[in-house]
Amino acid sequence: MEEVSRVFEPRKKPPVVALDGVSLSIPSGEIHGLLGPNGAGKTTLVKILSTVLLPTSGRARVLGHDVVEETKAVRPAIGIVFGGERGLYWRLTGRQNLEYWGALYKLSARETKARTQRLIDRVGLTERADERVETYSRGMKQRLHLARGLVGDATVLFLDEPTTGMDPLAAREFRTLIAELRREGRTILLATHDMVEAETVCDRVTLIDRGKVVATESPRTLGRVISRFQRIDVEGVDGAVLDQVRTLTGVSSVVEIDGGARIEVDEEGATQVVLGRLVEAGATSVRTSLPSLEEVYVQLIGDRGLEL
Amino acid sequence: MRAFLAGFRLELRIIRAAPDAFIPLATAPLFALIFLSIVRQSGRPDLQADALMAPVLMTLWWIALQQAGNMITGDRWEALLEPLLATPANLASVLLGRIAALTCFGLISFLEVWIVGELAFGVSIPFEHPVALVVTLLVTAFATAGTSVAFAAVFVLTRNAYTFTNSLSYPLYLLGGVFVPAAILPGFIQPISTGIFMSWSADLLRASLKPPPIDDLWQRIGVVVLLGALSFLLGRALLFHVLRRMRTNGELATA
Repeated sequence: MEEVSRVFEPRKKPPVVALDGVSLSIPSGEIHGLLGPNGAGKTTLVKILSTVLLPTSGRARVLGHDVVEETKAVRPAIGIVFGGERGLYWRLTGRQNLEYWGALYKLSARETKARTQRLIDRVGLTERADERVETYSRGMKQRLHLARGLVGDATVLFLDEPTTGMDPLAAREFRTLIAELRREGRTILLATHDMVEAETVCDRVTLIDRGKVVATESPRTLGRVISRFQRIDVEGVDGAVLDQVRTLTGVSSVVEIDGGARIEVDEEGATQVVLGRLVEAGATSVRTSLPSLEEVYVQLIGDRGLEL
Repeated sequence: MRAFLAGFRLELRIIRAAPDAFIPLATAPLFALIFLSIVRQSGRPDLQADALMAPVLMTLWWIALQQAGNMITGDRWEALLEPLLATPANLASVLLGRIAALTCFGLISFLEVWIVGELAFGVSIPFEHPVALVVTLLVTAFATAGTSVAFAAVFVLTRNAYTFTNSLSYPLYLLGGVFVPAAILPGFIQPISTGIFMSWSADLLRASLKPPPIDDLWQRIGVVVLLGALSFLLGRALLFHVLRRMRTNGELATA
């Protein structure tokens, strides 16, 4: 994607900038996470790449094909999974839904049936495949969505909040499935606001907020970006030592907890100084930890609560 | 062709799963009773067979127009339109397949009016030219589906397709010579009727139930096919522009 922008112009309302000059490159075979809060522009980006929404400006290509001008080349190669309960013919069975979508990918009747059965087994719907979708739980519908995205044997998959509504077990199975898809060499763009999901399955993650890319890195590297915000959990030191630590350069906070304390630093090199002081003071237990992706997310994007 | 068949098969499955698709079929026997009563009251038993054909055409058109009006809108509300557009299938072909399934299903109305005529008034359908009758019914089902694709494209732009489907039905029944042959309509209306496939279908259906040979049968059937195909191509072009506009404005999905 090169400088892709998308502005919505609702009637009688001010324009809304959903994407603002987004540039992003995802190599073949990568699982790329798109992480951001609600309204960040994740779904808009997925829709542009899947050819169902035109960018206001900029250029986007999938497998080298322009998503605006070369839709006939792009569409057979992509599969999309949008989250939520809609997007299925709920009066039909899961199998009938998949057979329909398979036929739209110009598969022969025999291939459609065979592929449908394989996917039904793969997403764990074998027992319920011939029951109407309206009787499915939310998690089952989500798994059927996933099967639908795979029915065209896509090289590139766009998954928009694919685990919405899945229970933890199903979500774990989903991650296993993603790992299988990676081994099959597929490229996956996973839009999510689930940090654990992104951290577990993605090779790289792009943080997006208010239509702009904040950072693109591996989950681990992103953690290092704010490693200066490292924290130190310590036990076996008294209040006087903690008061001394508070005065050290780079220490942003010291919070006493149950006979110990959590010390947070916000400058590179401060950790070593704090550790040295704690060891000198005879601390019985000292543990440092890197921030999780969730903490990176909050640090980079800011904790806005429910504000969009 | 695969997109057409995918749509055809999908719609047959939806019809089987959803009993509300049968509702238009409930009206055909009622209209047959009304029209038969009118021609009998008027002392025109020669028009009884014609009176039975009108409800068949009305049912075909009603089913097609009503469903075409709701098909894209319904898919849009159910978040089915975006995934459909992201497939390699041509939407117009899928729509044509879906509506063709409905119009084929609507041909059941022919059996209904046949039975109602026999049971209620002892009126039999005179199968004077059965081949012409069957072929006319089939090409009419096709042309109805093709024309409905054009309307489906227009209906996407409206906020309430129901209003249009209701108000468009009766003018078309009149212009299409469903109630009376287009030839006896006021002179200034007749050129319009000539451009409507249904006027050709209605004339052919009526002619197939009368003893005299049908003049230019295959040419007239060809006109029905041609008008249906032209309407489909028009609908396909319209749909392309409408969808492009929706992709531009971000209107393919509802929140």
